[in-house]
Amino acid sequence: MTTTEAPAPSASVIARRLVSLHGLTRLVLFAGFWLVFAGNDPQSWIIGAPAVLLASWTAERLSRRRGRDVTLGGLLRYIPFFLWESILGGTDVAKRVMRPEVDIAPGLIEYKIRLTEPGARVFFLDSISLLPGTLSADYRDGIAYVHALDADEDLLDPLRRLELRVADLFGERLGGEPDA
Amino acid sequence: MNILLDLLSVLLILAGAFFFIAGTVGLLRLPDLFTRLHALTKADNLGLGLIMLGCVRFAPDGLYIAKMLLLWLLIMASGATASHLIAKRALRGDGEDY
Repeated sequence: MTTTEAPAPSASVIARRLVSLHGLTRLVLFAGFWLVFAGNDPQSWIIGAPAVLLASWTAERLSRRRGRDVTLGGLLRYIPFFLWESILGGTDVAKRVMRPEVDIAPGLIEYKIRLTEPGARVFFLDSISLLPGTLSADYRDGIAYVHALDADEDLLDPLRRLELRVADLFGERLGGEPDA
Repeated sequence: MNILLDLLSVLLILAGAFFFIAGTVGLLRLPDLFTRLHALTKADNLGLGLIMLGCVRFAPDGLYIAKMLLLWLLIMASGATASHLIAKRALRGDGEDY
């Protein structure tokens, strides 16, 4: 970063929010994002520096993390799984809509989430929507409401497997019994 | 070798375009909001990934490839989150214009 000046009134607030190590990590991360998007032009930081600071501050305020982070090993195991499931998800929906008769039997199922870390839950909900045949439609009181393109298929098993993958990604051990 | 790589790029981009078309066909043919969200999130995510993979060969430098990868990740995250919020509003029936 070449400049650190921020709008005067919020500077102290931002500074306080950024004291923690995680604030610093976010700052570096968002600065990296800016560098990738805007390229290596020093003048771009006139916009970039305030944007990076505001993004870090917003993220800090909205964060509800309890202490678990994505682990590197978990990430390396998750990426190939996710890429393969994305291919399956895309081809599945393409096949269904390209048939002479649209091949669907939609329905809504409930899935009790066992993940505890809020970030992991959000990650799980977003992943559900990118996997074959499922869409996270609502989330309330620890229950994910999953819309299925074909509710006749067994969806509990794929959802459990996905949740285990996300738990592995965040280094979390799932407690309790899986439940529909 | 170059021709093979070019061919691979063309195939990847064509496959990506196919999934974008499939997403649009789904949007037109599927009966309700939820099923349409299925088509849009999944087909477009795959289509975009394939097109970007096909474009990697023509990127001027590594930063450009990182930019495409980051864009793909951000678009997937925003697409999945937006479709969740749309579905939630529709399901609860408390949206203003559903």
